Amino acid sequence: MSSALQHRGGPAPAQLADVLERVLDKGIVIAGDIQINLLDIELLTVKLRLLVASADKAREMGIDWWEGDAFLSRRSGDRALEDRLRRLEQKAGLKPSDEDGR
Amino acid sequence: MSETATATGWYVFGIVEAGARVDGVELVRNGDLAAIVSQVDLAEFGHEALRERLNDRAWLEDTALRHADVLQRVAAEHAVVPLRFGTIYDERSDVTGLLETRGDDFRAALEHVRDRVELGVKVWIDRARFEHSLADAPEHEESAGRAYMLRKQNEQRAAAEAAERLAQLAQGLHAQLSALAVDAVANRPQPRELTGRDETMLLNAAYLVPRGDTRLEAGVAGLQAAYAELGVSFEITGPWPPHNFVDTRDGRP
Repeated sequence: MSSALQHRGGPAPAQLADVLERVLDKGIVIAGDIQINLLDIELLTVKLRLLVASADKAREMGIDWWEGDAFLSRRSGDRALEDRLRRLEQKAGLKPSDEDGR
Repeated sequence: MSETATATGWYVFGIVEAGARVDGVELVRNGDLAAIVSQVDLAEFGHEALRERLNDRAWLEDTALRHADVLQRVAAEHAVVPLRFGTIYDERSDVTGLLETRGDDFRAALEHVRDRVELGVKVWIDRARFEHSLADAPEHEESAGRAYMLRKQNEQRAAAEAAERLAQLAQGLHAQLSALAVDAVANRPQPRELTGRDETMLLNAAYLVPRGDTRLEAGVAGLQAAYAELGVSFEITGPWPPHNFVDTRDGRP
């Protein structure tokens, strides 16, 4: 079994993706009286910028690869994504396409 | 909200029991729980600064890796509840407040992950090989033109059939592996742009297993042997801190 993290020297790209998938997308999310926190919508943007070289590539991939149904069942995957986006919009008071959050 | 260059915030990595001993980071204790924290400069981690930094790929990678690294070290010795990257408080008292208000969630999560580790399992498929194994062999007696047409039809049918079979296969493999684990999560497979591999990722799952328990690995080895000729291969990663098994968002604010 490979070590989950080889910090110094840097992990291989595939392993980096595994780490980021967990750190950016999993773990308990704290909401509430925090002065500084990351809105989910910002993290979605972050993931894209982080993992692909260009914005065009990101659009090709779709923004939902970390969301939705793991078994490629398109209908339920889309519904989950829609729900999530609606929730994020409400939370952030933004339109999803408004990347800068202004 | 105003922030000055010298102000510090409290970055929280995760939650452990108050008795835990952790090197290189601070613990903020409250009752039977403790938050693993690091004081950070708000010039770097303040709200506005963070907005900018998040677009700096190198910074984000380094910082996210540090977050993962701290949790990895702690998880080697203690039950730990990982928080998501980027949970930062203004005051120390906010951290104790968090332990107070979410204490029951944290205790339940610690109980769930105690003496258990997360293993990642990725299943890869060589699609061409898999589809080929489903396609009928062309009939030799047919004329060249007709054979070509039949072959095309076969290939199309095989591709459609393969997509359905692959979804079933992924679910079946996940169900078999889940039976060897305390808890299981199937995440969305990573796209090829990210993995850089020719094979398609069929399953991207995480399993919570008792520390030292080798049944899941044995199960993977068994499946690997059974499915190799269909073009299926398996990869185990970890042990990881239980990032995938502490989510308490359901039905909670």
